[in-house]
Amino acid sequence: MRSSSEPEVTDAALTIEDLAVQLRSRGEVADILDGITLTVPRGSVTGVVGESGCGKSTLLRAILGILPGRATTPRGRILFEGRDILPARAAKPHGRIGFVPQDPYLSLNPVFRAGDQILEIMRRHAPGTRAEHRVKLVELFRAVQLPDPEAALHKYPHQFSGGQRQRLLIAAALCCDPALIVADEPTTALDVTTQREILGLLRELVRARGLSMLFVTHDFGVLASLCDEVSVLYAGRVAESGPTRAVLDTPTHPYTRMLLSCHPDRAVELLGIPGAVPPATAQPAGCRFHPRCPVAQPDCRSEVPPLLPWPGGRAVACPHTARMEAHALA
Amino acid sequence: MPELLRAEALTTDLGRRAGFLRPAVSLRAVDGVTLSIAEGEAFGVVGESGCGKTTLARTLLGLQREAAGEITLAGRRVSGLAPAEARRLRADIQYVHQDPGAALDPWWRVGATLDEGLRIHGVGDAAERAARIAEMLAAVGLDADFGQRYPHELSGGQQRRIGLARILLLRPKLVILDEPTAGLDLSVQASVLRLLAELRARFGLTYLFISHDLTVVRRVCDRVAVMYLGQVVEEGPAEALFARPAHPYTRALLAAAPHLDGRAAGPSLPGEPPSLRRIPAGCRFHPRCTRASALCAAQTPPTEAAGPAHHVACHHWREAA
Ligand SMILES: Nc1ncnc2c1ncn2[C@@H]1O[C@H](COP(=O)(O)OP(=O)(O)OP(=O)(O)O)[C@@H](O)[C@H]1O
Ligand SMILES: Nc1ncnc2c1ncn2[C@@H]1O[C@H](COP(=O)(O)OP(=O)(O)OP(=O)(O)O)[C@@H](O)[C@H]1O
Ligand code: SF4
Ligand SMILES: [Mg+2]
Ligand SMILES: [Mg+2]
Repeated sequence: MRSSSEPEVTDAALTIEDLAVQLRSRGEVADILDGITLTVPRGSVTGVVGESGCGKSTLLRAILGILPGRATTPRGRILFEGRDILPARAAKPHGRIGFVPQDPYLSLNPVFRAGDQILEIMRRHAPGTRAEHRVKLVELFRAVQLPDPEAALHKYPHQFSGGQRQRLLIAAALCCDPALIVADEPTTALDVTTQREILGLLRELVRARGLSMLFVTHDFGVLASLCDEVSVLYAGRVAESGPTRAVLDTPTHPYTRMLLSCHPDRAVELLGIPGAVPPATAQPAGCRFHPRCPVAQPDCRSEVPPLLPWPGGRAVACPHTARMEAHALA
Repeated sequence: MPELLRAEALTTDLGRRAGFLRPAVSLRAVDGVTLSIAEGEAFGVVGESGCGKTTLARTLLGLQREAAGEITLAGRRVSGLAPAEARRLRADIQYVHQDPGAALDPWWRVGATLDEGLRIHGVGDAAERAARIAEMLAAVGLDADFGQRYPHELSGGQQRRIGLARILLLRPKLVILDEPTAGLDLSVQASVLRLLAELRARFGLTYLFISHDLTVVRRVCDRVAVMYLGQVVEEGPAEALFARPAHPYTRALLAAAPHLDGRAAGPSLPGEPPSLRRIPAGCRFHPRCTRASALCAAQTPPTEAAGPAHHVACHHWREAA
C-alpha cells in the first residue's frame, strides 16, 4: 500500500527550508530562528557555526522534534528521508537521526550503567532482542575504540574519562543505525588532544558507514578540520553558506569577515566586533547585523536581505558585500 | 628586564579527603617546577586539564602551601610562611578566577563587590573608592552604570571585564589570568585579549597567562612553559617554542590544535590524558610518546638547554623530526 505522502527523491540527507522558530514567554515573543535554509548532502558533513545564543541548539532541537512546549514553528519544512518531519503530528524519525550532545559529563545518568542506558534506547527504537542488542553494542563500542568493550558494558559513567564518555555517547547516537547524525559542539568540553581523537573518529565513521552529519560548533578550527559545507548563523538567520574552504578563504558577508578577523590565527590586530548579539526578544528590523555592521546602508534598517546564490555553490545574505571590499581596503 | 617572580623546584601536595577508615592520601599536583618571570612579561602556562596549572597558580599566590621549593617575589623570599602571612606579602600578585561568575557575589551589585575589595585593602575614603571604580570600569570598557547591575545581568565577556576591574583596582604588579578566554565567543575573546594588551601597556602589568588554547597563548605570550603531570617539560621564548618545539608532548599539543587552514596535522597522541594518581616511572610522558625508548621508561630525563633561554626535559629531543 502507498501512503498519501510519497517520499520525495533527493540527494540530500536533510533539507531545511525557511524554518522559523518562536518562543513565547510572559507576553514576549522571542524570534529564535527566522528563515533557516540549509542542506546536508548525503555522505558529507555540514557545519553550523555561530556565536552563543544565535540559535544553533534550537535548530538541532527542531530537527530532533524536541522543541520546548512553548515553541511555535510558524513557517518551514524539515525534509528527512523525503518526508517533512517538522509538523507536530508527523512521525518522528526516532533512531534514524542520532544525537551527540555537548557535554559528556552531564549527558549520562550517573546511577545507571552506561551500557544499560544505551540498551534502553535500543529496546525502544531498534528491532531485535536484548541479546542481539548487546552483541551489537559491544561491536559499536569497538567501532568507537573504547578500551575493553565487553567490560565497558558493565561500567558506570564515572568510570570513564571525558574522552571515553564522548565515545560512549557517539556509540549511543549510532545504536539504532541512523542515516544522519546531529552533533551539538561534541568536543567543546574536551582537551585538544582528546578533541583531535574524537574528530578523527567522527570523520572515520562518516566515511566507513556512509553517514551524513550536521555538526554545530563555534570553533572555526574544528569546522575547518571536519566539515565539507558550512552555514554561518547570526541572530537566528543564515548570514552565509557554502563549501567550508571557500567560506573560510574568502568570507563574504560582513559578519563572517569580521568574525574571522577575530581569529588569533588570522588577525593582524585583534579588534573584536563592536556591540553585542541582540537578545532574541529584541531582534533589530531589517538585517539583524545592521547595528554592528561597518557598511550598513539605510535600506539595511528596514529590508530583510534575502539569502542569494553566489558563485561556487555559495549563498550570501547581504546586498552590500562590494562595500565591504572597499571598507577592508580603507 | 629584572626578574619579578621566581619559583625554584616548587612542589605542592594536595590533601585528598580521607574516606571512612581510610587514611588521607595526598596528591602531588606540582612537582619540582622552576620558572622565572621578568617584569612586564606575559608568561604562558599550557597543558591538558588536570596537569596542575591552577594548583601552580594557587601556590604562587600563597593560597596553597608549597611542600618544597622556594618562591621569590621581586628579590624577596616569600616561601615557608604560613598562608595568611604569605598572602599578605604577596598582595602584589592577584588572581583572575577561571570561572568569572564564581568570583562575584550573586546577591551584590557588582559596584558593591568592587567597593568591598577596595575597603578590605584599606582605601578608607568613600569618594576616592567611587572615583577609582569609575575610572577602572572605563578602563575595562564598561559604562559606569554597570556598577548597578547584578552578576547574572552580565554577559560572559562583561563578567570577565568586571573580574579584571576588581583585580586591577588593587594595583597589582603581577596578574595571574586563569583561562581568561575559555568559553568566550571569538569576537568577545578578541575584545578581551585586546583589553588585556591595553591594560598591560597602561599599568605596566606582568601576566601569568594560564590557558589550554595554544592559538591564544601564541598570540599573547612572550614566554611559554608546557606542563605535563605536574612538571614543566619545556619552557622557552614563545616564538622559538612554537616554531621549533623540542619536546614530543609540545609537538603533539601543537599538532592537535585545529587551525583555520585545516592543515593536515601530524600523528595524533595515543592514549588518554594521564592522571596524577598513576604517575608513570621514568619520563612521565613515555606511555604516550612516539619516540620513547627503554631508557625513557627507566630514567627521568634531565632538563637541558635546547636554545637561548629554551629548556626541555626529554632524553631524545635532539633526534627531533
Ligand atoms: N527556553 C527559552 N526561553 C526563552 N529564550 C530561550 C530559551 N531557550 C533559548 N532561548 C534563547 O534562544 C536563543 C537561541 O538559543 P540556543 O540555545 O539555540 O543558542 P545556541 O546558538 O545553541 O547558543 P550556545 O552557543 O550558547 O549554545 C538565545 O538567545 C536564547 O537566549
Ligand atoms: N583540593 C583538591 N584536593 C585534591 N585534589 C585536587 C584538588 N584540587 C585539584 N585537585 C586535583 O589536582 C590535579 C591538578 O588540578 P588543577 O586544577 O591544578 O589542574 P589544571 O591544570 O588547572 O586543570 P584544568 O585545565 O582542568 O583547570 C587534578 O588532578 C585535580 O583533580
Ligand atoms: S624522554 Fe622519551 S618518552 Fe619522554 S618525551 Fe622524550 S622521547 Fe618521549
Ligand atoms: Mg547551544
Ligand atoms: Mg585549572
